[in-house]
Amino acid sequence: MADASQGSAPKPSSSVKLVLLGEAAVGKSSLVMRFVNNDFQENKEPTIGAAFLTQKCPLPTRTIKFEIWDTAGQERFASLAPMYYRNASAALVVYDITKPSSLTKAQHWVAELQRQASPGIVIALVGNKLDLATPSTSPEGADEAAEDENDDDEADARKVPTKTAKAYADEDGLLFFETSAKTGENVAEVFTAIANAIPETQLKGTRGSAAARAQEESRVNLSAGRDTMGAKEGCAC
Amino acid sequence: MFNNLSSFVQKAQQLIDPNLLSSSTNNPSKSSLFRQQFRLPESQSPSQEILAELTLSRHGSTNSVDGSKEDRDRERSQGSRYSGRLFLSEHYMCFSTQGSSFVSTATFASSNSFNGETHGTGPASNGFTLPLSAVRRVERLPSQTNLFALAITTSNGFSSGRPKASDDELQKLTIQLLGSRQQCERFCDALKKGLRSGMKTTDNLRKVVSLCYSEYHLAEDSSKEHKEREPPDTGLGTLFKYPGDARKLRDKAKMRLWKEYLRESGRNACLVRQPTFHKLIRVGLPNRLRGEIWEMSSGSFYLRLQNPDLYTETLAKHSGKPSLAIDEIEKDLNRSLPEYPAYQSEEGIGRLRRVLTAYSWTNEEVGYCQAMNIVVAAILIYMSEEQAFFLLNVLCEQLVPGYYSTTMYGTLLDQKVFESLVEKTMPILWDHLQKSDVQLSVVSLPWFLSLYINSMPLIFAFRVLDVFFLEGPKVLFQMGLAILRINGEELLDAHDDGAFISVLKTYFSRLDESAHPKSENPKLRAVTRFQELMVVAFKEFAGITQQTISDQRAKHKDAVLNNIEHFTKRTSIRNLGPESKKLSANDLGFLYDRFYGVLYDRQQRKLLIEQENDRRAKAGRAKISDIMPQMSDDNAIEVGRVALGSSDTQMDYDAFREFLAGIAPWSLSDNPASPWDKEKQQSYFGNSMRNRSVSLTPWGSGPEPDDHEFMRRLFRQWDSEHQKYLTLQNLVAGFSHVKGTRDIMSNIAYFFDLYDDDGDGKIDRDGILKMSEAFLFLGRKGLDIPELQSSSGTPKKSESTVVLSKDEQFLSAVSSFIKRAFEYADPDSQMNMTMKRQNTADNVTKSMDQFAIGDDDEDDLVDLEESKPVSPVKLKSTAAEAEGEVVKLPPVPSEDKPHTHAANAALDPAKPLFISLPTFRMVILADEVLESFFDTGFANTFLLADSPIPSSASAMASLTTFTNLGRASPATVAQHPGIILPPTKGLRGMLDNIVNDGMRVAHEVRRRMEDAQRELDRASAAGASPDEEDDDDHDEHDEKMSSHMDPDRRSVLSTDRDLLETAEAEGVDSGSGRANSVRGTSLLDEPIGEKKEGEQSAKVVEFER
Repeated sequence: MADASQGSAPKPSSSVKLVLLGEAAVGKSSLVMRFVNNDFQENKEPTIGAAFLTQKCPLPTRTIKFEIWDTAGQERFASLAPMYYRNASAALVVYDITKPSSLTKAQHWVAELQRQASPGIVIALVGNKLDLATPSTSPEGADEAAEDENDDDEADARKVPTKTAKAYADEDGLLFFETSAKTGENVAEVFTAIANAIPETQLKGTRGSAAARAQEESRVNLSAGRDTMGAKEGCAC
Repeated sequence: MFNNLSSFVQKAQQLIDPNLLSSSTNNPSKSSLFRQQFRLPESQSPSQEILAELTLSRHGSTNSVDGSKEDRDRERSQGSRYSGRLFLSEHYMCFSTQGSSFVSTATFASSNSFNGETHGTGPASNGFTLPLSAVRRVERLPSQTNLFALAITTSNGFSSGRPKASDDELQKLTIQLLGSRQQCERFCDALKKGLRSGMKTTDNLRKVVSLCYSEYHLAEDSSKEHKEREPPDTGLGTLFKYPGDARKLRDKAKMRLWKEYLRESGRNACLVRQPTFHKLIRVGLPNRLRGEIWEMSSGSFYLRLQNPDLYTETLAKHSGKPSLAIDEIEKDLNRSLPEYPAYQSEEGIGRLRRVLTAYSWTNEEVGYCQAMNIVVAAILIYMSEEQAFFLLNVLCEQLVPGYYSTTMYGTLLDQKVFESLVEKTMPILWDHLQKSDVQLSVVSLPWFLSLYINSMPLIFAFRVLDVFFLEGPKVLFQMGLAILRINGEELLDAHDDGAFISVLKTYFSRLDESAHPKSENPKLRAVTRFQELMVVAFKEFAGITQQTISDQRAKHKDAVLNNIEHFTKRTSIRNLGPESKKLSANDLGFLYDRFYGVLYDRQQRKLLIEQENDRRAKAGRAKISDIMPQMSDDNAIEVGRVALGSSDTQMDYDAFREFLAGIAPWSLSDNPASPWDKEKQQSYFGNSMRNRSVSLTPWGSGPEPDDHEFMRRLFRQWDSEHQKYLTLQNLVAGFSHVKGTRDIMSNIAYFFDLYDDDGDGKIDRDGILKMSEAFLFLGRKGLDIPELQSSSGTPKKSESTVVLSKDEQFLSAVSSFIKRAFEYADPDSQMNMTMKRQNTADNVTKSMDQFAIGDDDEDDLVDLEESKPVSPVKLKSTAAEAEGEVVKLPPVPSEDKPHTHAANAALDPAKPLFISLPTFRMVILADEVLESFFDTGFANTFLLADSPIPSSASAMASLTTFTNLGRASPATVAQHPGIILPPTKGLRGMLDNIVNDGMRVAHEVRRRMEDAQRELDRASAAGASPDEEDDDDHDEHDEKMSSHMDPDRRSVLSTDRDLLETAEAEGVDSGSGRANSVRGTSLLDEPIGEKKEGEQSAKVVEFER
């Protein structure tokens, strides 16, 4: 999905370590799956420890290769998280817009990252499952409407108003998006925005030999050795 | 300071109970090693132990027990013979050829040294674990010499539902005891006793055995009616096909071999482990027997035997109840081995749900952890629900303890251990990983957590499990190391996480391919990569034993736990919510430590007491006084550590009292000499001063907290969700109210709320009296309020010290509070009372008097009057506790009725009245002392990490912070001589009365003040302080107690031990230290040369020899 520009003259390419954090079942793995494979699976095996995937994100002047660590969401796995966000230069903190408690958890993660992760880490707050909100509510501009609807319209599963999350994100200097891994809405935008937000100076060059790189570029999932997903691995890059 | 204190406490405890020492060292108890070695349930400990020789007779030749000597000799020489050690526990007789991991002289509490490489884990040797209930007959064989030989007939084959087993099927074990005659006799006596009690559980045995496939399988040919019986459940595989190609797996051939083995060596409960057993397991178990052999080798069979109905009972008991774990389980049911057909069906999902749910109820601390779904889904393919349930128990509690706990400390610890083993055995690869900044555990963690089930193709993962259940967790390490060793060269080319993961993933997906596709030798070509992996794991890394793992775990444990605790504390404090921001980081840290410290201590104490009671109960029964070392079980003492995920997180009222006792001097009981359970007294503290009834929770070594109504109110107020317990968040929110605000108005309002029971903004007469009671309670150990030099209401006495006068001021303030509160109270009816008051001072006395008189038509008054002689005693212990006294009150004009009408009206229960918040505020602010109390005084009675808030009300720097004596303050609590009545009874009894009769309380308050005054006068007249002398022993006692007090025992995690980490662990086979790239072809010869691995036909058959 992301590599239309691949054929043209080689642009400088650099790797960025990105970690996904958030409560269980908010759709972290699904977001990554959408971004990497442009695919969505209803029943995904829970992530054990963490899954590792890579995807390229072409920018006008350079190509960013994301090394994505998709972590397990269950509360007790939290103590493993430092292992994964170590050295990360970007983080996606995901919550579920239909579950207010997941935003609280997301805020905890943001606090944790701001204190413990590498300084200057780019954090994006992402409200997922936008497909469950009333479609008329666009992420921008309709904040009031979203809130009103929350009050009187029970059909809307949205429980976290855009305004609330946005205000929090602004206050803490986070990128903010609402996405749907199911429909793909806004998913690529999140990663592009992160890629753009990472200062040039922080980028490390591509590592490894050509052979290693070739291998890296396939989708790798720690928790799927037996791998039913193997077949779907045919990422363009 | 706390560190010092707690280390001192630890030392003290060790003196008291030397068993506790073992927890901090690397030596688990003998009985826990014994249990691990034979995989027995918690209830078993070895009572007898003797050298012995086991002879297994071949079937069909066992009928000559009383034949000639030659016959017997021939017989014995025909069978296999093993020498080893025979053990007897409560319900089991166990035999093992491998040296036990403890020396025979070890105490039961702790084994001082180890031998044998199992480190107590796993029945990896030859031998048997025989439930005594499975023994049908024991005969002593005639013998000319002094030899002591027993012939044991087991119930093998009896429980297959037929009336009588044929002779052919009788299993006889001949055991020759090799010990002194005395030893042998002792053993036999104990055995007799055990057998007798074993009789009771034969029903259980029959039930349990009937679920074993071997029972069905072996009976197959010999009985016709048998055919009609349903075969026992052997897992989802029977319904949905077992994974892999049965023909390729040579399932039939394996089944035949097992059948023969079981026929010869006994089935299920009576199984004897011989070398073939181990070989058969290494080549992979056949589908239908896999579950049963897992059950036997992991020991979950014995757990099931102990309580066969636990599974169904657990499910029935909790049926329909919701829990967090169940929610989490539901989320994952559709995501557990989704590619296996059973888990696309309701049948499979249902089984998975039930097993996970039942376990979450039996172990609520663990509940449910992701990865358990995958493990359980996998074992359910081969096992019935019940079997899987018990296996999960053994897995979580014995095989991989802490893997699935809420902090996953076991997982983290084993990752550290694995890393250190890689560093040691493959230094080149390790260096490379370091240089490339690849963190090994990101790769290896899922291997361990899901026991390779999620990493390898299923058929191979099951082969790993086959060995794992028999040989224990070291197998996980051996496999992991072998995987890295085999892929060493490619891994050295990988320079980041991605490449690293990719190499291994490719490897796993090709495990079924030939390891040597280009080899000329067809045999060599037939060796799969998985076989190669097994050989490397168990040959090259044979040096990795359970001992290695245990040593390494011990070495890294503290660091890992500290890390987790650090992390938990950090996140927990950060996530306490907005209220917590009102407190300083220091205070929050202090509250956190103290909160968990108290809960931990209480948990420990409970455990110790339970164990002690248990021990006593057992000792009483068994009359063996020197055994039953339950107390020193491996991790018993650490239960409750935050990092182990088993800590309490809820503070009940008693714990809250104990919590307060450590930080607020007023919460200490004035009378800690309540009766103390005699047992506890002897066993733990040997302190004759403490006697406490069994029903009360003991306070351990800390000072005993009081149980004042104010404390209950505070607890109730802080328990905002009305759950009858406080979380850390509740507690912090509570403290942020009393300590976090500098605003006197909100402090006053908060206190008001505390007494506004129905939340209607009014406090009635009872409430006012209770409030004043609380003031006195809070102030009785002195207050940190500025002294008011100019205070007019305080009579100056030459003898008075500063402290005295401060307390006098406070008491006077409280008494005027009562008066004013009543004075300005609004009637709670239409009746409007207006009372004219000339000046406050006069009114104080008057209304105080009037309270007394207004009551005079009540019977109770008489009692009060009569009790006058004793009341000085009461007084001393309550209001006057602080040694200081009171406003000078004029004598009570008890007949002064005419003047008291107005007040009577105010006090008449028929005419309710109340004060509102503004009135209350006004009354408080009208008094300098109370004002200061609400400004900072009250907050400063809680001693947290930060220094007390300086008073803003007074510019005078005369803060005599005599409350701030910190932890030592309990020792300074003075007891007055001559106390007859328990003082708390005075207070509490009074509070009870309040409910019925506010008037009487007022009377009593007044009387106590008056009496206090009198007492004070008397004391000062005597010009001496008689208290001190009599206090001495109390002081001593209290001091001792308070030095035991341990606010933060968990902080004594010896960081010192980090030093040890630089030392290399022992025990790794030197052969495995080779550099990883040296793996030459020599290795590849092994599978062929040694014929260890047997997918090839020739090999499987070879075991028959």
